[in-house]
Amino acid sequence: MTSELNCNDCANWLHPYLDNELETEIAARVNMHLAKCASCKARFAELQALRDGIRQHAPYYPAPELVQQHIMSQINRQKPAFSSRLWLVPAFSATALAASVMLYLAVPSPQDMLMDEVVSSHVRSLMEQHLADVPSSDKHTVKPWFTGKIDFSPPVYDFTAQGYPLLGGRLDYLQHQTVAALAYKHGKHIINVFILPTPGADSTPQTLSVRGYNIIAWQKNHIAFRAVSDLNAKDLNELSQLISAGGT
Amino acid sequence: MKAHNEDTKRFEQLILPHLNAAHNLARWLTRNDSAAQDIVQESCLRAFKSLHRFAGGNVRAWLLTIVRNQSYTWLKESAGERYYVDIDDEAAMSEKDKAILAHTDTPEVWTGRMQDRQALQNGLEALPAIFREVIVLKELEELSYKEIAGVTDVPIGTVMSRLARGREMLKKELLKNDE
Repeated sequence: MTSELNCNDCANWLHPYLDNELETEIAARVNMHLAKCASCKARFAELQALRDGIRQHAPYYPAPELVQQHIMSQINRQKPAFSSRLWLVPAFSATALAASVMLYLAVPSPQDMLMDEVVSSHVRSLMEQHLADVPSSDKHTVKPWFTGKIDFSPPVYDFTAQGYPLLGGRLDYLQHQTVAALAYKHGKHIINVFILPTPGADSTPQTLSVRGYNIIAWQKNHIAFRAVSDLNAKDLNELSQLISAGGT
Repeated sequence: MKAHNEDTKRFEQLILPHLNAAHNLARWLTRNDSAAQDIVQESCLRAFKSLHRFAGGNVRAWLLTIVRNQSYTWLKESAGERYYVDIDDEAAMSEKDKAILAHTDTPEVWTGRMQDRQALQNGLEALPAIFREVIVLKELEELSYKEIAGVTDVPIGTVMSRLARGREMLKKELLKNDE
């Protein structure tokens, strides 16, 4: 016998129930509750009416015919496949055959767009002198700070002993989502490490150069790392290896 | 040239069927006709160039992902820093909002609003883009939570909560029009 839902729980499940996204067992419990509770039932009816209203009456904007014509004429003017531009990202095309569709969902646009955003965020953090919301080199201070602010737990380590002291952590935005950013220092150079969840597979570090900044990008355990700095690629790579290895 | 022709054929078969979905999303996100057309063209060209790397799966979701990214780039460029305000709107509803939502004792007027094309358009356009897009993808493109999570690059739980919040906000907007 399944336990009965109260109205609060029911309210939480109402939207996925409406969208047919609940597991059968939970859906049955919602169903049972709706049969008994007039106020939840009224609420649900309202949601249904809203959904039907949107589906039937909200504007839908199909593409004007001209758009398709423009696209086809542009495509017919394109050079044959493998345009030169793609070769700028050799690592990306090398993995192409093996890559699953999830990789494209994680990196749907050309790499350079994301990398450009990484560099911009890095530069902004330096300009605004806003490196850390939680300025601390103690991973036991920085890591818990992220709890509740983002829906994943970024790996946080200090590498003072190796010459890369942790300056602190902050929230940033990349690809329209909130991500964790860790600031490190090496000599006079500041390094930002952006950390975001990804559905994509693990990937080994790739080094890129964008607008004079070095970026090292890798993915591990469904977390994507982007380390960016004006630091030379060799040292930046060393820090990336330390982070990837998991620290102490 | 032969490879090119085959690419073109593949493009016509895979991508063109989703042109309307692409345009619909771009138009809802940008709220701007000419921007939406530009974005669809640019996105399709990008899709064409990457098509030989597309290993299979949901083409529509893939195309919509590209369209969405392009749309946000456009939004960012046209709105500057104000764009980020959207994300802060995810914070809890104000007491006043809740009071408006609780005030649902006029079912006829309310039902009328929900079937009024102009009211729906205004209401949806008034929502922050991250809420507008989940409603458009769910109700107008009929994507699953999982597909929406892929397109918008957030966890499924976030899709669920944004959809719930978006619908409540839309309801509020529709009631507001009524006053």
